[in-house]
Amino acid sequence: MREAGLFLRWSWRDLRARWIQVAALALVIALGTGTYASLLSTSAWRRLSNDASFALVHVHAVEAALAPGSTTAQGSLARVISSLPDAAAVTGRRERLVVPTQVEAGNALVPGVIVGSGPPTGEAVDGVFLSAGAPLDSRGSAAGGLPTAVLDLGFARQHGLPQSGTLRVAGGQQVRYVGLGQSPEYFIATAGAAGAPFVSQATYAPLFTTLRSAQRLAGAPGRVNDAVLTLRPGTSAATVAAELRAALRALSPPVAATVTTRAELPAYHLLYADIGSDEELWRVIALLVLAGAAFAALNLTTRIVEAQRREIGIAMALGARPALCALRPLLFAAEVALIGVVLGVGVGEIVDLPLAHVFANLLPLPLWRTPFQPGVFAGAAAIGFVLPFAAATWPVLRAVSREPVEAIRVGHLAARRSGLAPMLRALHLPGPGYREIPLRNALRTPRRSLLTLAGVAAALATLVTIVGLLDTFQATLARATGELLREAPGRVSVTLRGDVPRDSSIVRTVRALPAVGRVAAGLAFTGELSSPRGTIAVTVEALGTKAPWRPALVAGSRQGGLVLSEKAAGDLGLVVGSHVVLQHPRAIGGGMETARTTLKVAGIEPSPLRALAFMDLGRAAALTNLVGRTNQLTVVPAPGRSDLDVQRALLEVPGVASAQSVRATLDAVSASLEQFRSILNVTSGVALLLVLLIAFNTAAIGTDERARENATMLAFGLPTRSVLAMSVVESLVVGGIGTGIGLLLGDGLLTWLTDTTVASVLPEIGVSAALSGASVLTVLLLGTGAVTLAPTFTLRRLRHLDVPSTLRVVE
Amino acid sequence: MSALSPPTVATAGAETTNRIDLVHACRWYEAGARTVKAVDDLNLHIDAAAFVVVLGPSGSGKTTLLNLMGALDAPTAGTVVLAGHDLARATRAERTRIRRVTVSFIFQSFNLFPALSALENVQFGADVAGRAHARDIARQMLEQVGLADRADHFAHELSGGEQQRVAIARALATGNPILLADEPTGELDFHTGVQILGLLHAQCDAGKTVVVVTHNREISRISDRVIELSSGHLVSDGPPAGGRAEVEQLRW
Repeated sequence: MREAGLFLRWSWRDLRARWIQVAALALVIALGTGTYASLLSTSAWRRLSNDASFALVHVHAVEAALAPGSTTAQGSLARVISSLPDAAAVTGRRERLVVPTQVEAGNALVPGVIVGSGPPTGEAVDGVFLSAGAPLDSRGSAAGGLPTAVLDLGFARQHGLPQSGTLRVAGGQQVRYVGLGQSPEYFIATAGAAGAPFVSQATYAPLFTTLRSAQRLAGAPGRVNDAVLTLRPGTSAATVAAELRAALRALSPPVAATVTTRAELPAYHLLYADIGSDEELWRVIALLVLAGAAFAALNLTTRIVEAQRREIGIAMALGARPALCALRPLLFAAEVALIGVVLGVGVGEIVDLPLAHVFANLLPLPLWRTPFQPGVFAGAAAIGFVLPFAAATWPVLRAVSREPVEAIRVGHLAARRSGLAPMLRALHLPGPGYREIPLRNALRTPRRSLLTLAGVAAALATLVTIVGLLDTFQATLARATGELLREAPGRVSVTLRGDVPRDSSIVRTVRALPAVGRVAAGLAFTGELSSPRGTIAVTVEALGTKAPWRPALVAGSRQGGLVLSEKAAGDLGLVVGSHVVLQHPRAIGGGMETARTTLKVAGIEPSPLRALAFMDLGRAAALTNLVGRTNQLTVVPAPGRSDLDVQRALLEVPGVASAQSVRATLDAVSASLEQFRSILNVTSGVALLLVLLIAFNTAAIGTDERARENATMLAFGLPTRSVLAMSVVESLVVGGIGTGIGLLLGDGLLTWLTDTTVASVLPEIGVSAALSGASVLTVLLLGTGAVTLAPTFTLRRLRHLDVPSTLRVVE
Repeated sequence: MSALSPPTVATAGAETTNRIDLVHACRWYEAGARTVKAVDDLNLHIDAAAFVVVLGPSGSGKTTLLNLMGALDAPTAGTVVLAGHDLARATRAERTRIRRVTVSFIFQSFNLFPALSALENVQFGADVAGRAHARDIARQMLEQVGLADRADHFAHELSGGEQQRVAIARALATGNPILLADEPTGELDFHTGVQILGLLHAQCDAGKTVVVVTHNREISRISDRVIELSSGHLVSDGPPAGGRAEVEQLRW
């Protein structure tokens, strides 16, 4: 026991003697474990925050939403709900009028939605959490007679709007917003809102008001189109949804409605279900960072422990048991690992700050919970401790398994081996022969060089993967931009309140606006595409032959069926000529019903946006029973006018529900990638730091290991700069190869991650791995540069090298 | 000039290229609260083409003296002039340059570069000194030490004696006029040690100044001059007691 105390004190002295390397190594472990724990903590934060936020506003259990453009008399949906077999299980219900609109607030002019909620029957359902300002009063109007509303907090924040003010909605009507708040369906802007395939909080403005105000703003007094309800705990939402679906179908005239449960609520789905797939991506990224750190730890610990080989031999020669001899280096490794994981908690807390900020900004829930996750940190700490400790056991076992006489042998009998250096015997570089030393040294100690190389490669592979993901998202956005802005880049998609004849007064009014150049009348509807491979949601746009923009084709034609994106076709396993089932709305007797039609895939277009599908106008009109009618206009601004001018002009036109510029769609796609970009930016910073630390530590240890050779060269009068240059060249060789391997490995990981994890995290977007030339060059320069220049940090040590003492050290 | 009286400091010139002068030379180290006077007030000069042995027990300051003579170290006080260069005033970089053109070292533990072959190790010496045809010179030097057939072998493939002969060849390849050897036979058996001393002696005969540091009194018998140190002070300086012996007469 006394011996153990001695070895413990001895290991502390080792720590102190090598404190710079120990600190750097501990920081490497800390970066790995801290980042790992931080990234994985985000899942727990999101679950906790979602639970708290959804509970706060009593999110509905079941919703019945009538087909877009259709309404029913106020009270009728309530009656249907009351007549359900499980009506007794309904604890709260509310009829609503939810209408798409256009919102002009401050400098923003974007599509939005007016959510008019009647008073709840029973307990609260789908409430609004007020973050700032005043709540709505039951009259829903301000003193001046203006309708009042609460504006969505996320939208207001994105545009820097005050907590109260006046805004305009479609038809040019003014609304007084009295506060800023959030409702569960709009905690996050989701694809499909306002008929747009992509929206973001900046490009979508929900307004929460009373049912009466919504009816007034929509020009639909006494009408509703939506009902939400909560259920007694233990009641099956799916059963009640099925009952409601059947009851709505049985109405006369039939009511086409989509009945969904809470789990199908897009915001709920995104916020909950995506935690799992997002976590998968973060886990891979976190493991990459941890793997980079682990390799570095393996490399550095091994080399530090190897340096004690001779002392272990001496201890064994003096009769110490091998187990006791192993104690000191193992204690050293354990202490370094322990310092690393303890520091990892601090690093984790530091990394938590930007991550929490990213999430709170991108997913602005009413309540955010970001508590320290001891379980996640404990897991990370266990990995962070075990890996470097295990790395140390290998050289220790090697050292204690040798005969002591071998370990303590001095002089020529202990001459260090030449490794693979003789392979280069025939290679002679021009100039002084000593220029060959760096390359020879790299080969002389192949195991050591390989370990260094692996550490550098692992850290760089992590960096390449992360930077590559950023490139991939950027390239995806560029592809979408290239395709959507290929023609008529200023065009605006105008959604009408319902379908109208193509020569109706609304269409004529729009054509007559001075800001408007060309107008193409078309149809747009949401639906589902099904194949044996699966089902996906789409927005089908039916375009006439004179439409200002039509999708480019990579295969097939635009006529005779559906034109799908490559992503949609790939996901559904379709090619040109395949057949697919489209579930779509169909007009029938003053109402809408849901129909299923088998269609041929006529063409494939290159856009990465899966949710967009196209078909020719005539066929779509026949399919939906809307021959001669239109519900969406594509408007090109007049010469000299912008898309914003068009949107402003359209705001005054009654019957126009919303108008979204194609650029806003791209902004929304960009916003949907923002979460990943923000987090990847944080992790790329960590990976970069890791590369620099590994480079520095490797160089520092390398200088120690080459001390004797350096001293010999200096004794012969070789200038310090020449000796340093040799270290630099050796690092360049190892760092260059490590960087090359890191690049290849990173590229492979990027492709794998994009094809598997990213594809499941972002199913709506066709993401293909892309690593830009600039990134490759940056990583090459960074990796090679960091490793190559790291020895220059040891210049001071080289300058102060005690040459006589170093030369006299007997090995 | 008496070895115990201070010599005149020489100035740089052709006649001083092999010469080493120390005037009141001191080298002190701070060891915690106490000062270790490794070399204290030493006055001596070493002429060209001499075979000098510095003798003394461990801690006597002989290696420190060798480091001062070889410009590896600078005196704390006093003057050391190596081949006309005042080392006390030289910067670290200047001392490096001076070493490059004046001295060559032979170490107890050889210090060959393990990544280079015997020939390449020797070529290193010629390269550092900036000599043309370094590879040819290296071959000649290896031949001179009897290792022409081991040119392509790496350090770990050579015996201790062979490694030290390579080290001597490397030192000779520099073409520098002064050879400084620190316990060159310390790790070698008797026969190999004698061989090495023979080689060193031959260099002196060829006009080089050879300074050998050793604790082995027997080796001093083959020198022209024995400088004996104790605790950093000069104890004696003169020809070996009992006259100079031949290398073949050595026994230990």
